[in-house]
Amino acid sequence: MLIEERASTHVYRQKRMFTKEELEQREHLCVHEQPAYCVAACPLKLDTKELIGAVADGDFDKALALYEKITAFPNILSAGCEAPCEEKCKLCSLGDGVSISAIEAAAVNYGTQAPKRSGLHFKKKKTVAIIGSGLFPLFLTGELVKKTYPLTVYCTQENKEQWISQQTEFVEKEALGKDLARLEKLDVEFRFKCEPDASLLRKLQEEYDIVCAEYAAAKAVFPNLEADRALMYARNENLVTGEVSGVLDAAFCAKKAAISVDRLAQKLDPANTRGDEGPVETKLYTSLEGVEPSKKIPINSREDAVSEASRCIQCRCEECIKGCAYLQHYNKFPRQLTREIYNNVSIIMGDHMMNKPINACSLCGQCSVLCPNGYDMAEICHVARQNMVTTGKMPLAPHEFALMDMSFSNDEAFLCRHQPGWTTSKYVFFPGCQATAIAPATVKRAYLDLCSRLDGGVALMLGCCGAICDWAGRYEMYDDTVAFLDENLKALGNPIIISGCPSCKKELSGHEGVEVHGIWEILENIGLPSCSKRIEKPVAVHDSCGARGDRETQDSIRRIAEKLGCQVVDTPYSGDKSPCCGYGGLTQYTNREVAKEMTRKCLERSELPYLSYCMACRDRFAREGRESMHILELIYGTAADNCPDISKKRYNRLGLKNQLREELWDEEVEKIELGYTIEYTQQAEELMDDRMILKTDVIQVMNNFRETREAVLDGDSGLMITRCRLGNVTFWVKFRETPEGYLVESAYSHRMKIATRE
Amino acid sequence: MADKNYYTIDPEGKLTCVKCGVKLQKGKAKFMYLDNGFPVELPVCPKCGFVYVPEELALGKVLSVEKALEDK
Repeated sequence: MLIEERASTHVYRQKRMFTKEELEQREHLCVHEQPAYCVAACPLKLDTKELIGAVADGDFDKALALYEKITAFPNILSAGCEAPCEEKCKLCSLGDGVSISAIEAAAVNYGTQAPKRSGLHFKKKKTVAIIGSGLFPLFLTGELVKKTYPLTVYCTQENKEQWISQQTEFVEKEALGKDLARLEKLDVEFRFKCEPDASLLRKLQEEYDIVCAEYAAAKAVFPNLEADRALMYARNENLVTGEVSGVLDAAFCAKKAAISVDRLAQKLDPANTRGDEGPVETKLYTSLEGVEPSKKIPINSREDAVSEASRCIQCRCEECIKGCAYLQHYNKFPRQLTREIYNNVSIIMGDHMMNKPINACSLCGQCSVLCPNGYDMAEICHVARQNMVTTGKMPLAPHEFALMDMSFSNDEAFLCRHQPGWTTSKYVFFPGCQATAIAPATVKRAYLDLCSRLDGGVALMLGCCGAICDWAGRYEMYDDTVAFLDENLKALGNPIIISGCPSCKKELSGHEGVEVHGIWEILENIGLPSCSKRIEKPVAVHDSCGARGDRETQDSIRRIAEKLGCQVVDTPYSGDKSPCCGYGGLTQYTNREVAKEMTRKCLERSELPYLSYCMACRDRFAREGRESMHILELIYGTAADNCPDISKKRYNRLGLKNQLREELWDEEVEKIELGYTIEYTQQAEELMDDRMILKTDVIQVMNNFRETREAVLDGDSGLMITRCRLGNVTFWVKFRETPEGYLVESAYSHRMKIATRE
Repeated sequence: MADKNYYTIDPEGKLTCVKCGVKLQKGKAKFMYLDNGFPVELPVCPKCGFVYVPEELALGKVLSVEKALEDK
């Protein structure tokens, strides 16, 4: 069978994966970029988490620099801030929350102010005057200087020291002195000893573009003043002012007032386009698993501050990435990954950098269980694959071997028969392609057992459920597979399917009007066979990704394991949270590196032997050197093959089919004799397994050589090298002639076609 | 315009065509993939036109160009 390669790189078809709304709906589920609880609570938008992190690292200068971003007077603010963030600290639910206010004070106290960068200082053209003294005028001065307004302060005091001392009695003298020094450095003019009466206000309103005032002073002059606290603006007197209560509120109101000044300077309504102000609701999720409650540490030194800051758990949501080797490999969170995949699919021409990540996801759905909001990367990668198939942009190379393997399972190695001696079937055993490829003896014993103990006839169907082409995004091929299997099931009289594989069970359950049970459920009902192998030792059960959400299967496997003497030890990420072994989603074929990381991620959960109920998991764990068993191996006392190579996996499937045809159905199986021998060096066998070259491919190449004698002789090595184009691939074989045939020393392939030219 | 070649291998008389019994020579060939063509010079049998693609070339340059084109 030939699967058609995409025609050209110059096909510019395009189809959107999702509408903008559908994309945003998905992206919003990922809360990784949501602010931490303390950050969200701060009306001044201080990056508290970052500041605490800097203090925990002993970097007080960085911490101070972060604090200076929100105020020009850090000593005054840190001394008086009411710290609404503290009660929002996640640690409060365990015991003492982090002393955020004290850490900020330590940052201000122990941090050194970075020298100001010199350079050109441009000023805005619009002029601003501030009238009065107290916290609001003080913080507003800081905000407006930062915004580079030419600024003049009118006050009754005689000097800056008196001015800054208004309403700042709570600040220690030394600390206030530091902020006075900061005030001295600000580019702002002062007019002292000015009474804020009506004539002054009117005069300033004529002289300056914008006038701001301390609320009590303004109210005394204009009794009808109506100030909107949300804008810090009194429209009726065109004054930037408003009532404040407390230190943090004064700082926040100064920020609001500064935005109103901006709007007025641009001749806009202060109520318009103000952006996101004040504290926000955060949707962040942070797990406290493994976090021990701890007590607050009073801060009397740098070291105390570092210790207290180190109690902070740096709230973030990493639930998905913690459990998924794929997300860890690309080090991206679902929101970002989704956007990049979406953009990749939308590229009309040029490099599609995200093809590899799209094809590397195992589509196992673990993220949808781990994510507090159910973010499903599998759905996104699956839709992207289908989209690429539709637009002709899906490369065939990453999936071709697996798709050809599926075709082999449902063609050459396919078998569908009623139980010998029966013409009807109540059941059909569907062991799955991996079970027949890896453990044919176990499949045979299981089938014979089911035939002997179930009434009503047990048919056998050896084939692939279609998961392979579904994972590859080849939806047309999948529809064809579903139709093919349905046709065969219909011919059997639509019996109850007994699946040997949880992924097959999941896939087949999607067929219309079929009843599917796992073989484990049937065996629990009829009892385990007498040939079962007991193993009296602790094992870690690895739940198959095909059984995610199928609690009955997960429990059934554990009950059977315990009946067989196993002590089932619970591991992290078991049950619905189980990671994929690296086979799912065809990761094993598209990205071996990621697949290997997935396998290791599964195995890092326990040092124990692994008991699985999917043959692909069993095989991949064994390849990593772990003692690995499939539940059916224990139930039927037969061992699976030890890490069979790709050729052996095909041989096993075809071999089982032919063996059963001969032994159970008395059919004559045609033997194909080559008429010569092909032997392989060990190195050649290893290379071929690694390069996905089958022995059947080599046979076709050698048959072609015998017909055409097309080859070259390498004078240096004495090897002959021949080639043959099979489907989309040119296979090359390096060999020596032997008296009976050939000894293959290497094989390689490429997809490019080659021809001579003039 | 000068003839552009992406890759050149000279067999230096070390390779013999099994079918024709003659030495392979450096000859003009072309790789084609997904509607893209790349002129190269490879060992070619002057008699039957058999083009030899060495293992290092197939698994090196050819593979990397294939992968790059597949993601176009």
